[in-house]
Formats: sequence, structure tokens, C-alpha cells
Amino acid sequence: MDEPLTDNRPLRILIADDSDSDRLILKTLLRRLGHEVEDAANGMEALDIFRKSAPDIVLLDALMPVMDGMEAARHIKVLAGERLVPLIFLTSLSDADALARCLEAGGDDFLTKPYSRIIIEAKINAFNRMRLMHRTLSHHRDLIRERNRKLLEEQEIAKRVFDNVAHTGCLDAPNIRYHASPMSIFNGDVLFACPRPAGGMQILIGDFTGHGLPAAIGAMPVAEIFYGMTSKGFSGSDVLREINQKLGRILPTGMFCCAAMIQADFHLNQLQIWNGGLPDGVLLRKNGARENIVSHHLPLGVLGTARFDAGMKIFQTEPGDTLLMMTDGVMEAENQQGEMYGEQRLARSLNEAGQGDSPFETVMAGIRAFTGNQPEQDDLTLFSLGMVEEGELAGVSERLPQSALEGPAEWHCVYEVQDRTLGQFSPLPLLLHICMEVPGLRRKSGEIYTLLSELYTNALEHGVLGLCSDWKATPDGFGQYYAERERRLGDVAGHFIRFTLTHTMTDRGGRLAIVCEDSGSGFDYRKESSAAGSECRYSGRGLMLLRKLGHSLNYREHGTRAEIVYDWHFSEVATREGSTIQQPGGWS
Amino acid sequence: MPIHTHRSEDGQTLTIKIEGRFDFSTHQAFRDAYEHGDEKVTTFIVDLSDTTYLDSSALGMLLLLRDYAGGDNARIRIENCNNDVRRILSISNFEQLFAIR
Amino acid sequence: MTDKPHLDEEALAELQDVMEDEFDVLINTYINDSSDRIAHLRAALEKSDADSFAKSAHSFKGSCINIGAPRLGELCFQAEKAGIDNRLEKAGAMLDAIENEFRQVEGTLRRFLE
Repeated sequence: MDEPLTDNRPLRILIADDSDSDRLILKTLLRRLGHEVEDAANGMEALDIFRKSAPDIVLLDALMPVMDGMEAARHIKVLAGERLVPLIFLTSLSDADALARCLEAGGDDFLTKPYSRIIIEAKINAFNRMRLMHRTLSHHRDLIRERNRKLLEEQEIAKRVFDNVAHTGCLDAPNIRYHASPMSIFNGDVLFACPRPAGGMQILIGDFTGHGLPAAIGAMPVAEIFYGMTSKGFSGSDVLREINQKLGRILPTGMFCCAAMIQADFHLNQLQIWNGGLPDGVLLRKNGARENIVSHHLPLGVLGTARFDAGMKIFQTEPGDTLLMMTDGVMEAENQQGEMYGEQRLARSLNEAGQGDSPFETVMAGIRAFTGNQPEQDDLTLFSLGMVEEGELAGVSERLPQSALEGPAEWHCVYEVQDRTLGQFSPLPLLLHICMEVPGLRRKSGEIYTLLSELYTNALEHGVLGLCSDWKATPDGFGQYYAERERRLGDVAGHFIRFTLTHTMTDRGGRLAIVCEDSGSGFDYRKESSAAGSECRYSGRGLMLLRKLGHSLNYREHGTRAEIVYDWHFSEVATREGSTIQQPGGWS
Repeated sequence: MPIHTHRSEDGQTLTIKIEGRFDFSTHQAFRDAYEHGDEKVTTFIVDLSDTTYLDSSALGMLLLLRDYAGGDNARIRIENCNNDVRRILSISNFEQLFAIR
Repeated sequence: MTDKPHLDEEALAELQDVMEDEFDVLINTYINDSSDRIAHLRAALEKSDADSFAKSAHSFKGSCINIGAPRLGELCFQAEKAGIDNRLEKAGAMLDAIENEFRQVEGTLRRFLE
């Protein structure tokens, strides 16, 4: 494309006519219109000129010696290739057959003798517009073709990058079968599997709304979180919570990820499954019974952390049981008539399968027979997980990916609130925010907040303000206590409350150490904590909460320095919570 | 106002609803909510559906309400607490003092 | 045989306008060209080559129409048809008529040049 697309440059016009006088008239006419003209006395000469100077428009007499116009027209069309070179026949022919032959030979129009200046000018202009439009279209087509080539090339590179992130897992374990089309990532499908350090494995199958780049981008952080956390030992619920939060933050409203998390334990022979928005999975028992794994949750990236339910449903299994999960591409696979594969056909495929047939192969064969497609064209992801004896998976868990834990792990910070600010500002949201950067603490935000809040209240009220909870013994005293609190906050010059937070990683999780110091003269923490045992008192529960939530609580320096250690573990949650809640007896 | 009250039609049940944080800053409003001297109220409902957080001073306030409502004979239900709030109440063994739903 | 005028004055005026200084060249070119064509027609007739006769008549017709000599163009058209239909028995008389008409046109055109 060496010429500009919108040009007013003169056209190069080739004319071929064996009549010298006609040629002379036409040449003069066209030159007067501002065009460059070359002329030939027969078809052969015209072809030579055409090859040399590639004119924009050709005017050809039909009947000429040596090579007539029709034959020249055919050659010119071939030489022009993709370029549109309008061919106009110059003629005094009057019979329709002869005119039709001119068009069949590749002619685009006629100019009849005698020549009219006005008609020649109009036709040349009309064909030039057509020529330019054709060139613009060709240019756009080439541009689109080139962009598409680039896009595919970029997708190929993106896919390689993605594969590096996503396929470090154990999708090749002997008990996993799966189908994911090579470019499924650009359909928004994800499938990850990762061994857990304590044995067993975790699998995530998902389907982002939308297609192409936006869907693929969402998959990257999901892969990072999934592999990073699973390999560290985090439970499926923890990983889900983290992914949900991340996607909620990065995805625009209306975009989310339908997904299922499967936590497989081959030692206990147990599956824990969370299905948020994927089609029903199927758990095929060894004895032929089938159980549907229904979606009970909203997709990932929809609900805020507070309302998100990461609870996984437990299924007891036996070796020989098989779990099938799929994206909705399976249900929506279309045949030639535009019908969808659907649940019923899936169930029928499984019903018709013989004893010992692989459920995965059965369903894949069912889909292929239905759509008539080659699997490469599918826009679907299907996988099966076979429950096996633990021993059969020896070696799988040794291939744990070495991925860094998301978020800060080892850190230390000091934050001190001083003077008037003590009465005006709560440092708690900020401190909580810092702690919540640690994924392992995020699921404990309620407890961490209570710890920080009770420490701060004690330091402020009993330390800095020197209030005594004895006042809270009666309803009126309760009121007086807070009235006094308000009064004393007016005079806190020279005071401070200092939080020192330290987070470290341990073998089983992490440890948050909180030190809270104040500038007060200390308080009788022994009395405060022992008094809480009696029901008639309205105060003293702060220390009890600190003690029960933390793993150790120590007061030093006459009560002006409180130290709390809070341990969290990669894979528990439920166990510890359960034991604490059910603890019987009165307050201690 | 972060605290709203609602009387049942027969006047015997008073619902106190706390929005946002339930801590020392709400103590006067909370007390005002039940201390109106109306003898007819026999049952109190503390609705925590919109309560995001509850601290140890709120525990004290709940005990104040309990004593006001008759101590061991008090009929108080704590309803609709979120997980974090529920956990604080559980750790404090408030299940033994209140009907918590 | 035809009531068309020997020369179309209007067409000639337009040509003059278009060609400007080259009008003389055009007229001379036409006259030389036409003489060649008449010689071609003659030769074709002697060889009884109806096809060649038709083609020459056709080309001659085109340039006559363009130059503004409609009557001569019409005579050429008759000759072309005779050639196409392979009826050369009257072609000799036609060619004579063409030649006569051409002489007349040529005379008038040359006056134009003066």
C-alpha cells in the first residue's frame, strides 16, 4: 500500500485503440481532465504498458488488430491481481451479444462513440471512487488479518506464560482425567490441581464470565492464590475465601467466576466440595449409585467477605468412587441443529455406560457423538477424579510447587497514638488493616479486631485515663464511668498508647505478637481479671476475651504493658473454634 | 440514631435494634431504650442483625439490661447475630444467661 | 441511402474546443487514418475477405462518428454489416460511396483548418 488512501493525485490511465484519431481525442480529453495518459494501438502493446506502469484505469477498444480488447482485458485482470483496476470498453458496438462478451471478459463498463466529455468525466470519477473504496476495504481487510495474526501470536505467548503459572500442579496424577481445549483459558475456563503438603490434593475448576483477554486475566491471580496457598497447606475454604476476596476487588461488577473447589483426602477417603455456580457435578459410587453435587453458593467474586460462605460439604467415599465436575460448556455443547447437550443427555450417557467404563470417557464420547465436533473445537472443561488408596498416589505430593505465600509473612510495626489524638481517633481500623494483609489472619478478622479493641480500651480507660471498673458495679455507676471517661479524655496531654505488632511464620502457620503499652501509671490486672467471675459485675470481660482468644496474655510493668501471642494454623479453623465454643462452665 | 426500639402491638415485647458498633459509645442510648418505666414490657428482644461488632463493655450493658428485666427471671432474646458477634457471646458463655438465636 | 449530414458542426465545434491547438493534428491524423482504412477495405474486397472487410469498416465507423462525420459513419456501418453477413456483391458500390463521401468530408475538414 504505497499510495495514501485519500488522494487527489492524477490518475494513470491507459488507453488502447487502433484508431489514431480516436486515441488522440481521448488522450487529449483525459489530459485536459488532469490525468496522466499512456496509449497503445493494440492489446499487446497495452499489456506491455500495463506491466510497466500499473495504471489505475484502463480504457480498451474492443476490436483491435494483433490482440483485441477482450483478450487484453482477461490478461489485465490477471495481472492486476487483488487490485481493482476498472476496465472500460470503448466501443461503437451496437449489438447486445458483443457488449455482453466485453463484460464477460472482465470489462466493468462501456464508453460509446462519439465520446462525450461529460460522460467520460463522470465515469472516470465513478470508477475512481469504486477503486478507492476497494483499496480502503482491502487495506482494512489486510489490517484486520494482521491484527488477528498478532492477536493469535500474543495469545500463544500469553498461554505459555499462563501455562507456567497454572500447570505446575498435579493434573497429571494417575487418578485425574481431564479435557480442557488448548485455548480454553481464553474461553475463561480454569482447571488447577495441587497436592496438599499433608497428603491428598485440592482441585479448582472454574469458568469466568466473558471470553478472551478479560477472562484470562482473572485466571492469573486465581492460579497464583490457589497454588500458593494450597501448597502451604491452606484448606479449600481458606483458598476460596482468598480468591473470592481477590476477584471481588479486581473484577468489574457483572464479571465473576463460577467455580468448584474439591479437597480430596485419600487417607480418610473423603471429599470436601464447594460448588458455586457450576453445573451439577456427579459423584459416581463404585456400586453404581450416583449423587449430584449441586451448586449451593454464589460464584466467586460476587459476595463481600462478610457474607461469603466458604463452607465445604463433606462426602464419605471409597476407593473406586469417581467425581465428575464440568463447566457449563459441557451442558451447552451444541449439535448441528443448535440443540444443547444438557443434563438429561449427560445422565443418559452415564446410564448407558457399561460396568467398568470410565465415566470420563463415557461423557466425552457422549458429547462428541452429539456435537459431531472434534474435541479441539470444544469450549468446555470436564474432569474426573478417581478416589484411590492413598498408596497409589505415592510421589504426587512430592511435586509441590515452590510458590511464595501471598501477602506479607514476616514483618514488624510500631504505631503510637499520642496526646489529643487519643480522644479523637481510633487506631483500630488501621491496625486491623495491616494484620489483614496476612491471608492466614484474614479469616480471623473478628478475633483480631476484638484483641486489638480490648487491648486499646484497657490501655485507654484503665491506663491513660486511670478509670476503675469498680464504678461499673451498678447501673448508675456504669453511666458515671463513661461520663468520667469523656471528661478525662479532655486532658491527655503527654500520654500515649503504643502498639507493636510482629508477625512471623511458623511450621504450621503464623504467629502474631501484639504488645500494647500505655503511659498510665498501671492498673491492677489481677483484680480486674479475677473479678469477672461473678455474675453481678458488669465489667471485667475484656481480659477474659483477650485470654480466651489469644494463646497467651501477659501483663508487665504494673499493667502498662500487655503482651498477647496469637497463633494461626494453615489448615484448621473448624477444630479450634469448635472446642472453644463448646467449652462448658462459668466465666474464668 | 444507631439504636431503634419497637413495641409489639400488645405492648409486652420491646425490640431494641442496634446498628453498627455496639460498644461504650452506645451505652446511654441503649439504657434509654429500655429504661422507660413501662411495667407492661415482659419480654426484651435485642436485635443484632445490623450490629457489626460487639465489645466487652457491650457485654456489660447486656448484663445491665438483664438485671433491669428481673435478673434470673428476665426474658431476653438476643437475635440475628453475625458470626463474629456470636463468637464473642459464646466465649463469654452468654448462652447461659440469654436466649441467643 | 442516408439522410445524415456530412458533418456534425456541433460535434466539430466541441472537438475544436477540447483539442485546442491540436485540432489540426487531429484532423490530419483522421484524414491519413481514413485513407489507410479505405486502402484496407479495398484490399480486403479484392481478396474477398469479408471478415477483414467488416473489421476495417467497424473501426472506420468509430473514428468517423467521433470526428463528427455521421453520414460517412453510417456508410461504414452498412459496409460492416455486409461484411459480417458475408454479402460482398454490393461491397464495391458501398466502398465507392464511402470514398466519395470521404472526399467530400475531407474537403470540408480541410477548409476548417484554414
